[in-house]
Amino acid sequence: MARGLELLLSAVLLAGLYAMMAYGLGLIYGVLRIVNLNHGGMIMVGAYLGWYLHERAGIDPYLSLPIAAVVGFATGVVIYGGLVRYLPRGPAGGVQSLLLLFGVWLVLRNVAYLQFTGNDQAIRTDYSTKAVVVLGSALSLNRLIVFALAALLLVALDLLLTRTYLGKAIRAVAQNADSCRVAGIDVERIYTFTFGFGTALATMAGLLLGTLFPFNPTFGAGELLKSFVIVVLGGLGSVLGTAVAALILAIVEVFAILLLPAYLTGAVGFVLLVLVLIFRPGGLFGQRVLG
Amino acid sequence: MMRGPKPSLCSEVTMQRRSGSFPLALAASLLAAAACKQSTPEKSSATAAASLPDKIVIGATLPLTGAEARIGGFYKEGYELAFEEAMKAGGILVGGKRIPVTLQLLDDTTTQATAVSLADRLINVDKVNFLLGTYSTALVQAQSSAAEQNRIPYVNGGGAATAIYQQGYKWIFGLLAPVELLADAIMRWLDIQQKSGKLPKPSIVAVVWENTSHGKDFRNGVSEFAKSHPGDYQVVLDEAFELNAKDFSALINAVKAAKADVLLVDAHLPDYITMQRQYVTEGMCNKVLSYGARGSEKQAADALGQKNVNYVLSAVWWNSQLGSKGLNKHFVDIFRAKYNRQPEWYQALGYETARSLFTAIEQADSVDREAVRAKLASMEIESILPGGKLRFPAEKGQQAHNPFVVQQNMPDGSAPIVYPPDVANAAGVAPRPDCKG
Amino acid sequence: MSTWRQFIPEWLSPAVLAVFVAAAAVLHALPYVVALSPYDHNQLTLAFLFIATALAWNWIGGFAGQISFGHAAMFGVGGFAAARALQMQVAPFWVPWLLGGLVAGAYGLAWGHPTLRLRGPYFSIATIGVGEATRLVLTYWQGFTGGASGLALPINAQLKYSLYWYALYFLALVAIASYAIRNSRLGLGLLSIKSDVEAAADVGVPVVFCQDLVLFLSGAVVGVAGGIYASYFSFIEPSDMFGFDRSISFVLMAVIGGVGTVFGPGLGAVVFVLLRQFLIASYPQLYLGLYGLLLVLVVLFEPLGISGLIFRVARRLRPHRGAT
Repeated sequence: MARGLELLLSAVLLAGLYAMMAYGLGLIYGVLRIVNLNHGGMIMVGAYLGWYLHERAGIDPYLSLPIAAVVGFATGVVIYGGLVRYLPRGPAGGVQSLLLLFGVWLVLRNVAYLQFTGNDQAIRTDYSTKAVVVLGSALSLNRLIVFALAALLLVALDLLLTRTYLGKAIRAVAQNADSCRVAGIDVERIYTFTFGFGTALATMAGLLLGTLFPFNPTFGAGELLKSFVIVVLGGLGSVLGTAVAALILAIVEVFAILLLPAYLTGAVGFVLLVLVLIFRPGGLFGQRVLG
Repeated sequence: MMRGPKPSLCSEVTMQRRSGSFPLALAASLLAAAACKQSTPEKSSATAAASLPDKIVIGATLPLTGAEARIGGFYKEGYELAFEEAMKAGGILVGGKRIPVTLQLLDDTTTQATAVSLADRLINVDKVNFLLGTYSTALVQAQSSAAEQNRIPYVNGGGAATAIYQQGYKWIFGLLAPVELLADAIMRWLDIQQKSGKLPKPSIVAVVWENTSHGKDFRNGVSEFAKSHPGDYQVVLDEAFELNAKDFSALINAVKAAKADVLLVDAHLPDYITMQRQYVTEGMCNKVLSYGARGSEKQAADALGQKNVNYVLSAVWWNSQLGSKGLNKHFVDIFRAKYNRQPEWYQALGYETARSLFTAIEQADSVDREAVRAKLASMEIESILPGGKLRFPAEKGQQAHNPFVVQQNMPDGSAPIVYPPDVANAAGVAPRPDCKG
Repeated sequence: MSTWRQFIPEWLSPAVLAVFVAAAAVLHALPYVVALSPYDHNQLTLAFLFIATALAWNWIGGFAGQISFGHAAMFGVGGFAAARALQMQVAPFWVPWLLGGLVAGAYGLAWGHPTLRLRGPYFSIATIGVGEATRLVLTYWQGFTGGASGLALPINAQLKYSLYWYALYFLALVAIASYAIRNSRLGLGLLSIKSDVEAAADVGVPVVFCQDLVLFLSGAVVGVAGGIYASYFSFIEPSDMFGFDRSISFVLMAVIGGVGTVFGPGLGAVVFVLLRQFLIASYPQLYLGLYGLLLVLVVLFEPLGISGLIFRVARRLRPHRGAT
């Protein structure tokens, strides 16, 4: 029983991070109908950014979050304005955008490789190995902080989307871009902003992930796939949906150890993805658009 | 000793059809190729023993980029040191003359296909005389087929899996002892502790291993030892994990539930660091902890903090503390002179691998591949490896079986050798004194 | 002139046939006429394999428009099945290859049948999941793949030399199949599915059957290639066979050469192999980035890759021809 509680707490902490990681992907798909295969690349960039700032400038990784946000946003805007904008929208553009963003990811991987070598890096701070005892089990301090930050960000996100004019515009464009154009909304600007925003989220998630796990230039692939699982499971757009889906994934992964040998628990996420895609591509909440 | 393609009816048939009509050519050549076991690939002729070359070129690939780049770089240091030493003397002594020797080193990016392609290239395009091995079992295994097919001596210090040496290959020689012996060495030290009452009998053992041949061999070594000492060791957990996994919490939870006295892990450095960090954060503490060949790396102490790597046991193929006299001292001295730090087993193996090849060439007194191969097969020389001698026993598939040294991290930052007793400079500590409750 | 034209089916262009026969003849005779070093001989063998896999990938990725990022799953399954059969000395040696192909094709069908219903990016994402799950599970299944240590096959130097011709004729068959599929009713059906799956179903195209068949064939071919690959290296291991990089390579070859064109992916494969060759000794760390750049350039400027460039040039040169 104590073990069950421990596993549950583990899962909850993990879920917070997963939710944040997935949201950026979901946002971009919801609004632009583009699957951002560079999501993994930006996660990797975020991790390296945090590491670099910590190594060279001694900045605590959690304090570098705003920097990651800015860098991510700028990168996203550049990628959109310079590349994605030229793709045809709609089903014809689907495949093209996949390949384009995948290409961008490959380039980023190579750049990271040349700059930092392929060796694993880790962000080690003084409190990296500290633990806090909650309800009888030792929880890593890092994971708690990450969870808190992720939760805060998601709440802020939800407020942005529901309470601000910008948020409304984004949701409107997601529902029907054409009528928005007619109504006078600068759809291109919304697209640019959304893409930048989604990329910023990925970068920040990457930084947080970097404080927990070691990483190298190939980092991000597994996280990308997990994000897909969550986006598909949770439907698109609602923060709540994403959070619940993230929790489900985290719980399945963590409790799988009771049934499967440790080695195979890594495959659980992928199998879940395929099953969900086959049986409920509309997600558990049946939503396909923001709203 | 020139060799050409064996004359046969097959080659005549295929040559004739060259100018014929397409479909007939198709049918005939398919038949010829299929039926024709005689047709032989162009063989690079072994240099005639009579004439001496004006230089010896030794080819090698190493993972200088990719997953094993760090260790590849270390092996490169060892190789380069050996070549530098040989060149200081003017080269390798063959036929009374000193012939300069150079290393043609390429980067195989830790990819099997690249390693094989580059080996092919080194042999058939660059026409190197001999090959030194790459690092990591999968790469060595893949490359060894290429070397064997081309009948060129391949001496490696990077592939430990016994599987490589059980294929009946004649041209492959390995300096790295099998990982089963690594596990065995650690178990033997545990046995000594158990016999002197420091560990319970039976001891509960949990073994966790990376899902590679390295990990498999480690786990086999542990279970074999436990089987041959019935009643002394009880293996309650036996789990594999994926190489370079990010999150070990599921695994750590399983280990916690097992309540083992001894936790044995086989992992590469990044996984060691990740896992140990999570292990410590969870507040875990087993009586004895080992990460196989990992433990005393400075990188780990830096990444985790000395406190968190105390009393970790590791077993390695070589240790600089063996370097108090003779060949070992010489190696440690020249390494420190060139690189300004203490060598680890990677560089030692790289150096010794190259040195053993040079020795074989000198013993054969020629660059003829078959002659050098024969000398390698019958080699018995003084060596820096534990045990002091290097041989490639035929009954072990030409894989050296030198013993391992087991070391234990101490709070003062040192990592004395605790096993085997004849080279040990400390007895080692078990159970570890810093576990709370 | 018209008399012998009767013997050739109408969908077969004489020009294509002539080029095909000429190319096959030249490549077949090459090792006899030109003194190839064993290295070049071997590299050509591998090139033939890669071209064949790119063409086969294109059947599902280009003709049917369903981009698969998980084809390495079939490559690996076929390779290991063939390797196991070879270890058990099932003779003659090409039977294991066929076996590998069948097993791979069946595997493709197994995961493909339910997932092909998904359109566009959803299918592609599913394939990433399939690819990775296959890798993890099969690396664990030691009985089949030998686990992380992989499988070693007995060395056969004569076989490796003659693999050149086996790979060449394998490629010839795949090329013929590519052309045939494209110009057949199946190809037409796939094209209509690619443009608008609902309309295609309305018109009576058996959507499920077509897609399943094509995925089976594509998987089977890639599986046979895996088997020949195993024979070539005499040693295969899961991370190489099932790796994501392997899956990516199929996509890259086809995209660079021209997704959806008949022979484009073959050209892409040639470029891919040449680039690897060129970079491998001097700048091995750059090839990923270069591929990425190529991908971006192709998508933005010439969606049909090299084939697109060729078409453009051809149009320039022959302004009186209608649209391709």
